[in-house]
Amino acid sequence: MSAFAARLERATRVVPRPRGVWGFILRRILLGLLTLFFVSIVVFAATQALPGDAARAFLGRNATPQSLAALREQLHLNEPVLSQYFHWLGGFLRGDLGKSLTGSQEPVTSLIGPRIKNSAFLMLIAAAISVPLSIALGSVAARRRDRVFDHATSVVLLVLAALPEFVTAIVLVVLLGTSVFHVLPPVSLIPPNGSPWNYPKELVLPVLALVLAVTPYIARIMRASMIEVLESDYVEMARLKGMREQTVLWRHALPNGIAPAIQVIALSLAYLAGGIVVVEFVFAYPGIGSAFVGAVSNRDLPTVQALGILIAAAYVVLNVAADVATILVSPRLRTSLR
Amino acid sequence: MSGAAAAAVSPIVAPKRQRPFVVLLRRAWRLPRTRIGFVLVLLLVGTALIGPIFAPHDPTAFAGAPFAKPSSSTLLGTDNLGRDVLSRFLWGGRSILGLSAAATLIGLVLGVSIGLVAAYSRGLLDDSLMRVMDVILAFPSIVLALVAVSTVGPKLWLIVLVVGFTTMPRVARVTRGASAEVVERDFVQSAEALGEPRAKLLLGEILPNITSTLMVEASLRLTYAIGLIAGLSFLGFGEQPPAADWGLMINENRQGLTVQPWGVLMPVIAIALLTVGTSLIGDGLARASAGIDRRGDE
Amino acid sequence: MAAYPRWEVVAGRNELVRAEVTRNPSREDQGAMREDELSRIDEEARRRGMSREELLKRAAVAGLVLTGSGGLAQVARAGVAAAAAAPKRGGTFRVGVAGGSSSDIIDGQDIVTNPDQARLMAGFETLVTFDKNFKLAFDGLAEEVSPNKAGNVWTIRVRPGIEFHNGKTLSADDVIFSLRRLVNPKLKLFGGSALSSVNPNALKKMDSRTVRMTLKNPDGTILDALGQYVAGIVPVGYSPNAIGKANPNVGTGPYKLKSFTPGQQSVHDRNPNYWRHGQPYFDQVVIIDFPDDTARVNALLGGQVDAISNIPPAQVAVVNGHSGTKVLESPTAQWTPICMRVDTAPFNDVRVRQAMRLIADREQMVQQGLAGHGHVGNDLYAPFDEAYDHALPQRKQDIAQAKSLLKAAGQDNLTVDLQSTNGALGMNEGAQVFAQQAKAAGVTINVKILDSGAFYGSQYLKWPMSTDFWGTRNYLSQVAAGSLPTSPYNETHWPDTADNKFLTLYKEALRTVDRKKRFAIEHEMMQLEYDHGGYIVWGFSNFLDGYSSKVQGLIQGWKGVMQLNNFGNGYRTFWFG
Repeated sequence: MSAFAARLERATRVVPRPRGVWGFILRRILLGLLTLFFVSIVVFAATQALPGDAARAFLGRNATPQSLAALREQLHLNEPVLSQYFHWLGGFLRGDLGKSLTGSQEPVTSLIGPRIKNSAFLMLIAAAISVPLSIALGSVAARRRDRVFDHATSVVLLVLAALPEFVTAIVLVVLLGTSVFHVLPPVSLIPPNGSPWNYPKELVLPVLALVLAVTPYIARIMRASMIEVLESDYVEMARLKGMREQTVLWRHALPNGIAPAIQVIALSLAYLAGGIVVVEFVFAYPGIGSAFVGAVSNRDLPTVQALGILIAAAYVVLNVAADVATILVSPRLRTSLR
Repeated sequence: MSGAAAAAVSPIVAPKRQRPFVVLLRRAWRLPRTRIGFVLVLLLVGTALIGPIFAPHDPTAFAGAPFAKPSSSTLLGTDNLGRDVLSRFLWGGRSILGLSAAATLIGLVLGVSIGLVAAYSRGLLDDSLMRVMDVILAFPSIVLALVAVSTVGPKLWLIVLVVGFTTMPRVARVTRGASAEVVERDFVQSAEALGEPRAKLLLGEILPNITSTLMVEASLRLTYAIGLIAGLSFLGFGEQPPAADWGLMINENRQGLTVQPWGVLMPVIAIALLTVGTSLIGDGLARASAGIDRRGDE
Repeated sequence: MAAYPRWEVVAGRNELVRAEVTRNPSREDQGAMREDELSRIDEEARRRGMSREELLKRAAVAGLVLTGSGGLAQVARAGVAAAAAAPKRGGTFRVGVAGGSSSDIIDGQDIVTNPDQARLMAGFETLVTFDKNFKLAFDGLAEEVSPNKAGNVWTIRVRPGIEFHNGKTLSADDVIFSLRRLVNPKLKLFGGSALSSVNPNALKKMDSRTVRMTLKNPDGTILDALGQYVAGIVPVGYSPNAIGKANPNVGTGPYKLKSFTPGQQSVHDRNPNYWRHGQPYFDQVVIIDFPDDTARVNALLGGQVDAISNIPPAQVAVVNGHSGTKVLESPTAQWTPICMRVDTAPFNDVRVRQAMRLIADREQMVQQGLAGHGHVGNDLYAPFDEAYDHALPQRKQDIAQAKSLLKAAGQDNLTVDLQSTNGALGMNEGAQVFAQQAKAAGVTINVKILDSGAFYGSQYLKWPMSTDFWGTRNYLSQVAAGSLPTSPYNETHWPDTADNKFLTLYKEALRTVDRKKRFAIEHEMMQLEYDHGGYIVWGFSNFLDGYSSKVQGLIQGWKGVMQLNNFGNGYRTFWFG
C-alpha cells in the first residue's frame, strides 16, 4: 500500500470515514486540495510577505509618488498580511490572477493563456514518447536481466538520470543544432498565436531533452517492478499452465508490473512540470517555463505567483492521480482497504 | 605450560563486529561503478580545489580578443570578454562544490532530525511533520528556489538555504522509513525502558543503524543539489559576474557557441562528469546496501 | 494628357537610386505635380542657383527621379548607385529585435526598450527628421518649422493631405494635441524630455495646417527635440491606455498596426494611403521579440527572419561567413558611461573623479568590451554634433597620475561598488573591464550586476557609481536629458556647486540663435564637463545588425539613432530584391 495511504489510515483512525476504494479516492482528493491550499500559502508568503517594497521594485525608473501610491493600492500592500492573502486567494479562485506589473499591465491570465497551451503540448508529447519508451526499455531489461542489454541500458540510464536537464539540453544543442550536426534549429521560434503542432522541427530538441530527463527514472522502476513480477508465483503458475511466453508477458506480467510503476510514471510527469522551466529557457520555447524565468528576472510578482502555483498545482494533481490510479489498478491494494 | 596447552586455555574471543557502514563501503568498493564514480569525483573535486594553482592566467585578466580561438597562451581560447577559458574553468568549480556541499549538509541535518523525531514519536507529530514535508515536496524544487529569488534577489546564502530546504523532505522521508523499522527493535525498546533520554536514544541507538541508507541518500541528494545549483547559476540567479563559476560560464559563453565552444563545453563536461560520478557512487552504495539486506545480518 | 513620370521615392532622402523615369517633365506635367513637391524642388533649385526647369532636366539626364519630398544633396553620387536594383513591391518583412518582454508598449511618443523603438518607427512620424549624417532635415510631416528673429516664436506648418491610418487628415489640432501630450508632466513621456521650453498653453492654431508656438524662452534646440524619433505626431485624443476598436493605435507612418502581443510580436500592414508616394514596399512588417541573443542570430541564419538588430560581437564573423546573410555595421554616438555621483563620497572630490578617468584604458575597453566594434570616447557625449569640441586632447590611461591624485585625496585603497545591468551592449562589459583595470591603481571595484527590475528600481540614480545607457543625441538635447538638476536621468547629479556656471551657460546657449556663437558657449560647457564631470565616457559602440541578402536598400555607415538605418526609417527604405 502506498505510504500515503498508510499514513492516511492512521491519521483518520478515529474519524468515521467512507469505506472502500471510493472512500480512499475521496480522502486522497481532499488531501490534495489541502496540500494545494498550503502551497498557496507558501507561494504567497514567499512573494508578498517578505521585506522589500514590491511597488518600488517595479515602477523603478518611472516611480513618482502618485504612481507608487496607486500601485500600492492596487496590490493591497497597505492592508494587513492576512487580508492581503484573502484578497489574493479570492481573486485567484475567481480566475483573476491579477495584473502583470510590467509595462502593459495586462491581466496575467491573458499573458500566460497561450503559453499554457504550448507547455501542455510539449509535456504531453514528451510524456507520450517517454512512457512507452521507458516501459519497453524496463521490460526488456528485466527479461534479459544481467545480460548485455541490461547492463548497457542500466549504465546509460544512470548517466542520463544524473545529468541536470540544462546540461542535457545544451549537449543536444551542441550535437544537433550548432556545432557537430546542423540539422535542427537550436531555438524554438513559435509565434504567439501559432500552434506548436505546426512546427515539428522546433519541437524535436526540447522534447528530446525532456524525454532524456524523465525516461531513466521510469525505466528503472519499470525494470525493478517487472523483475519482481516475472519471479512471482502468479507468473510461474501461468507458465506452468502451459501458456505461451508471449501471452504470459503481455496478458499477465506487464499489467501487474505496471501497477507499482504508475506512481513513478505520474511522479515523473510531474517532474516534467519542473523540467520545462530550464528546457524552455534553453530553447527559448514560448511556454510557461520561460515565462516564469522571465517573470523572476523582472520581479513581476503577480506572474511569479500565478505560474508558481500553476506548476505546483500540476504537480499535486499528478501526484493525486498517481495514488488513485495505483489503487484502481492494483487488486491487492483494493482488497486491503475493505 | 606447553604451547598447545596455552592455546587450549586461551579465551574465546568473539569476532570483532564491524560497523555497518564500513561493511557497506567495502562492499560498494568492489563494484566497478563505485570505483569509476569515485575516480570521477576525485578528478573533479581535485580540479575544483587545486585547479587554481595551475591556472596560467588570473581568471579576471584579459588574455585576448573576445571569443578568440585556442592559441599558445590561451589553450582553450577566450570567453565573452576575452578572458582565458582554461583559467576560469580551473577556478570555476569551487563555488559550485562549496554551495552544493553546504546545501546538502543543511538538508541532511534538517531532514535526519525531522525523520528521526517523526519515526520515534509516531502518531500525530509524525503525521503532521510528514504532511509538511509533503507540502514542500509539492513544489518542483527549481520553482521554489526561483520564487524565493524573485523576492529577495539572487543571493548566495538564499540559494544554499532554499536548496537545503528542498533537500530536507526526501531525506526526512527516507530517514523516517528506515528508522521506523529500527524503532521497533528490541535494543531500542529496552533502552527506552531503561529511561534513556530521547536525544541520546535517537542519536546513539537509532542513527548508527540507518547509516547505510543515509549514505546512499546523501550521495543522491548531493547529485541533485549540484544539478540544481548549477542550473540556478546557469539561469543567472547564482554567482554573479565576474566570478568564475561553471554554471555562469555556460550562460556567458553561450552566444559564442558557434565560434568558440570551449567556454561552454568545458564546464558542461565538468558538471556532467561530477553529477555522473556522485550518482555512480550512490548507485554503488545502493546496490551494496541491497546486497547486504538480501543476505541478512552480517 | 501625357503620363507623367512616376515619382518614385527611393532609399533615403539624399541617396537616390534610379527607379523609373519616362522623360523630362513638361510644363503640363509640372502642373500635375503636387504643390508641395514643387516647392521642395524649387527650394533645392534655389540652393543650387538654378531654375526649376534646369534642375529637373539635369536630374532626368542623370537618370534620376526626383523625390516627392525633395532634397537632392548627392545627385551625382546617387547616379552611380543608380545601377542598383529597382525597388520591388511586396513581401512580408520579418525583423527580430533584441529584448522585449510583456512590458512592451506601442506609443507614438514613448519608448522604454529596443522593441518599442522598432514598433514606434513603423507607425509614427515626426515633424522634422535627421538624415544619414545625423543632420537635421525638413523631410518629415512639417513643410516648415521656422523661428522668429528672437528664437522664441516658432511656426510649424504641416504638409497637406497627410492622413492618419484611420483616414483622418493631419491638421494643426493634431500637432497641438501631440505637443501638449509630449510635455504633459503626468505622463513622463520619453519624447517630452527635450521639449522643456514648450509652453502647452501657448500653442495657437493659425489655420488648418499651421501652429504658432511661443516658447517659454528662446530655444535653438527645439528643432533637435522635434526631430527625435520619439516626438511622434499623434491624432487628437490619442491614448494608448484606451486603445481598442474605438480608439485604435494610429499614426501617420508607413505601416498601420494590425496586431500586437507584448513580449512576442506585432504585425503591421502596409498603409495604402501613405503620403510619400510609392512607399512603403513591403506588404507587411512583422516585428518579433528576441530577448535571447543566440535565438535571434540563429533565427537570421535559419531564414526565419529577414533582419535582426544587435548581433553580439562574437557572432559577427558567423553572420558574415554564412551565405545569404550580411552584417551592417554603423557608427553611433550611443554611449554606456560609468557614472560617478559628484555630490557624494568618494566622488565628490574632483581629484577622485579625475583619477578614475585616468584609470580607464579606453582602447582596451573597446577591444575587450565591444570586441573592437566601436570607437574610443573622451569623456564627452554627442560626438556627432557639429558643436563637438574635437580640440580637447584625447584622454589616455595614466595609472601613475591616477595614483597620485588618489593619494592627494586620501583615497589610496579605495573600494567602491559599481552597479550595472544588461540594458545594452557595453554596460556590463565596460563595468567589468574597468573594474579589472582599476586593480592596477589599487582601486577595488565590486561590480554588481543587477537584473533590470532591480537596477531601474528605487536605487536608480542614487548609486555613487553605476553604468547607464544613452542613445545618440546632439549636445544640448543630451544636456537637457541628463546633465541638469531638472533632467529626468541625471546619474551624476551634475553640476556640483563649484560648476554652477554650467547652468548659466546652458541657458545662454539656448537663447543664442547664431550658431557660431552658440558653439563657442557649448565648448565652454564641454570644457567644464571634460575637467570636472562625473561621466567616464570610454567609447561608443557600433550598431551591429544582420540582414538577409535579399533585403535591399540598407546603407552602410548611416549615422542613426537606431539600428538598421533607424529601422528603415519606418521600414520604408528597404525592399526585397
